[in-house]
Amino acid sequence: MELLREEPHGTTKAFYLSSAVWMVFGTLAGFTGAVQLIAPELLGNIPWIVFGRIRPIHTNAVIFGFVGSALIGSAHYLVPTLVRTPLYSERLGKITVWLWNLAVVLGTLTLSLGFSQNREYAEWIWPVDVIVMASLGLGFYNLLQTVKRREEEILYVSVWYIFGAFVFTAFIYFFGNAMWNPFTGSITGIPDGILAWFYGHGVVGLFLTPFAVAIAYYIIPITCRAPLYSHSLSLLGFWSLLMIYTHIGTHHILQAPTPTWLKVIAITGSIAMLVPVAAVLINLWLTMRGRIPYILGDTGGKFVLAGTVWYLLTCIQGPLQALPVVQRITHFNNWVVAHAHMGVLGFSGIIALGGIYFILPRITGRPLHSKFLADMQYWLVLLGMSGFFTVLTAAGLIQGHGWLNGETVYRMLPEIHPYMVLRLSVGILIVSGAFIGLYNIYMSLYGFKTGRKAS
Amino acid sequence: MKMTPPLLVLGGSLIFGVVLFVVVILPWATMTDQPSDIHRPRTALEERGRKLYVKNGCSYCHSQFIRRIDWDLGAERIAQAGDYIAEQPHLLGTERTGPDLSQEGGEHPDDWHMAHFINPRYVRPESIMPEWAFLGTENITALIAYKQSLGYKDADARMQRQRLWKPKSIEAYEKGTDGNVAWLHDLVPEPWRKLPNPYPTSQAGLTRGHRIYQSFCIGCHGPVGDGMGPAAPHLYPPPLNFTTLKGRGVSGGILYYQIMNGITGTAMPYFKRDLESEKIWDVGNYVAVTFIGETDANTEPRGIDASYEPADGEKR
Repeated sequence: MELLREEPHGTTKAFYLSSAVWMVFGTLAGFTGAVQLIAPELLGNIPWIVFGRIRPIHTNAVIFGFVGSALIGSAHYLVPTLVRTPLYSERLGKITVWLWNLAVVLGTLTLSLGFSQNREYAEWIWPVDVIVMASLGLGFYNLLQTVKRREEEILYVSVWYIFGAFVFTAFIYFFGNAMWNPFTGSITGIPDGILAWFYGHGVVGLFLTPFAVAIAYYIIPITCRAPLYSHSLSLLGFWSLLMIYTHIGTHHILQAPTPTWLKVIAITGSIAMLVPVAAVLINLWLTMRGRIPYILGDTGGKFVLAGTVWYLLTCIQGPLQALPVVQRITHFNNWVVAHAHMGVLGFSGIIALGGIYFILPRITGRPLHSKFLADMQYWLVLLGMSGFFTVLTAAGLIQGHGWLNGETVYRMLPEIHPYMVLRLSVGILIVSGAFIGLYNIYMSLYGFKTGRKAS
Repeated sequence: MKMTPPLLVLGGSLIFGVVLFVVVILPWATMTDQPSDIHRPRTALEERGRKLYVKNGCSYCHSQFIRRIDWDLGAERIAQAGDYIAEQPHLLGTERTGPDLSQEGGEHPDDWHMAHFINPRYVRPESIMPEWAFLGTENITALIAYKQSLGYKDADARMQRQRLWKPKSIEAYEKGTDGNVAWLHDLVPEPWRKLPNPYPTSQAGLTRGHRIYQSFCIGCHGPVGDGMGPAAPHLYPPPLNFTTLKGRGVSGGILYYQIMNGITGTAMPYFKRDLESEKIWDVGNYVAVTFIGETDANTEPRGIDASYEPADGEKR
């Protein structure tokens, strides 16, 4: 079968192309939602793109389709490379890719038809959940078999994170979607809110973060031509991430009637998040000390460096906004939307792109189709992300302070309108970046052959 | 520490399991399953409406819990865990692009909701909520039933009040303008009826009133104040036509009171949470001057002038 054709690094290539396609689709879905926040009747009365449906389509397509595909694709390159053993089965890998894409396609279609579990990032209905679990299981099995057959005894820190990511993601996906409860995908009452946010935060902390950190741990030492700064810090970062990140989900519903002791755990855990973040960043940045020009000279490395800076910003903001006194202003408004974009696009999304641009030339054996276009995408996404952060944070502060001063939600809508227009304009940069990325990645993968035929 | 696949998988699973127990299973096992004082089961129609709320992602813009700091909602009932014992999935929400709905039941009558679902801007001109006409009348009816149940027994009490006043307002409307105006004036306490608008008419005040009218009133009462706004076909009794009120003794105090308090049973909501005092006087005088054609602004008894008011008899 052509779809399952075995070729060296075929799995990674297919994941990268999927990621590029889903980035275009996911950002366009977000763009559609942003249009509706400005002109609600422009796309009015079209059921399948109404805001309540396009929003989960956007978040899931971006998290699982764009960032997820790129990260898992890179994992299928990093593990075999780091243990000096070919991937156990490229055919199994291709099945993993197709299942993963099937899940995103079906999830998108069912959401647009109004089938939703309505818990953030766990909206996809049960049959889609099963496909996601199958794909994760296959990927894990494939990489585990690769590691079992390994020729390199020592497992590098990236391999830990990748294994961690597979295991924890499968766990958190199963529990978070309450998969033993197929019809609603949820449990009952306030505990359902607690479970949903244990999952919602876990998607970022146990799925996106460990994969993205694995890529950074691989690319930074290579591009700056220096050994990793500290093994102990790697250990601290890995185990503390798992121990602390899992505790903090309740900070999303801190002001709801959840048990006080749980709120205390969530807030202290959120502050303690500075430990794993600092361990990773100190380790990476001390590795590159005095060698930043090397990294900036490498297209993929440049993305990864920018991603680590966003990681720092996200993870300083995150613990602070878990504090009750800060949440009085920031909860329920666009401040949080800005924070979510920092985590998924600024940190893990930009690192995912860095992984693609670093690894692509190494698996095709040719340079990128265009370094210029990759640089252009870098700046478009970076400027777009910075714009999003500024505009949405400002809008959030205006809403939060207005409400706290006794203004109704309705009265604050005209106040944030100009910011929603700015946000849409800035979004154009990110969407353009996605299109450029798709073209560049497609041409890097397949442009060579057609180019030769033409000549 | 030497990292091996068994250590990664087993160690990771162990930590995950322990944390899952502490932060999810423990709260699940120890939290109350007792209903709160306002809780009641939902009817079949309300349950159907809730399913539509879930399917269409209403919770991305509407939260369902009131916090202690929610001044705009009055914070009259802070959410309790016992309010949520039947919620599956939870609909707590994380964004307030639209208002919190946990105590929405009975705030408006059903016909207001129908107009609002067909096009939210019919009744709330600056709303950015999508239109839901595509759901069809039957589904919207179920959604309205669900919304009117939010707040459980508190909502039921408010709905009872809506149902008490609805027939009275219809009866008054069907008596014609004289009867309707008499009934509307009767709803206002005596001292308010005699109260003129204490501030003189000024261009600035009318401009402010115009702005408020466009943000809040135009959907029902229409751009020329004849009660023929886009929401009107969906509402009964229909919105008041201001242009027939000249010489019928509509005082500044009556306008103020009706805007502040609303007319329960009709689609006229109360605006005391949206608008502060000056804004209500301004929009009231705008309606009086522009649509009714007469105003009692700054007539006796008027007490002491505010420092910014022009001196007696002086025109601005």
